Amino acid sequence: MTTNTRKNKDLNIATEHSAMERSQPQDLLPKADIHETKQGAVLYIDLPGVHKNSLDIDVDDNVLTIKGRVELKTPDGLNPTYMDVHAGAYKRKFTLSAELDSSKIDASLTDGVLKLEIPRSEKHKPRKIEVKAA
Amino acid sequence: MISNMLRFSPSLFDGLDELFASDFYMRNRAEAYPQVNMGTTKKSVEIYLFTPGVKASELDVNIEKNLLSIAGERKADELDKDAINRRERFVGKFKRTIVLPEDVDPNMTEAVYRDGVLHISVAKKEEVQPRRINVTV
Repeated sequence: MTTNTRKNKDLNIATEHSAMERSQPQDLLPKADIHETKQGAVLYIDLPGVHKNSLDIDVDDNVLTIKGRVELKTPDGLNPTYMDVHAGAYKRKFTLSAELDSSKIDASLTDGVLKLEIPRSEKHKPRKIEVKAA
Repeated sequence: MISNMLRFSPSLFDGLDELFASDFYMRNRAEAYPQVNMGTTKKSVEIYLFTPGVKASELDVNIEKNLLSIAGERKADELDKDAINRRERFVGKFKRTIVLPEDVDPNMTEAVYRDGVLHISVAKKEEVQPRRINVTV
């Protein structure tokens, strides 16, 4: 373990990270990376097959919920022969600490990857305190 | 002998359940990148490769006879050096080869990349496609 990797509980974002913890087992749990800096948090979430029109990002209190429907163009009479991806929707919840400002989330979706930028609330931003000479 | 095996089997299955339920197993299984869905119609074979985060121009798709191969690389995101990170997403080079049915026509292949999914459609050879025969009286 490197020094800059900490356990989940030390981060300002908590999330379930195994399929066993999913509330609805029929949904897929998308893979996510969480990066935290002094400015805030950046999340990258893999949502292949999700168009921005079928993506839902919800913040309720301190819980961020991502839901996305997989939309594949399938020809008529398609008979599946092999499937790694068994469900038609992704869902994952993230719990944000009070240090993050959930009202200012910036989201962008590119090539099936959702990027979320969540700034730290003003009062939790690191501040330098000037010491005045007496 | 047989009864011994029967007696052993339930505990073997218990062990398997634990293995399947463990976080270790779930994480490793989910490492597969790219994930693939496949299907057939009367006229074609349809392949869906889930390659989020890779530009279409960076995907190397080849088809030779009935072997389809897809290769590429997903690079790590650029980050602040002070960042605290928790990673689950795949980073690195990948290659996946798929054996298609022998009756495909590799010259009739179409590939479309959209929202992180590469959709490849390979037509079946004309002579194996079902044909309706009109009976004239």
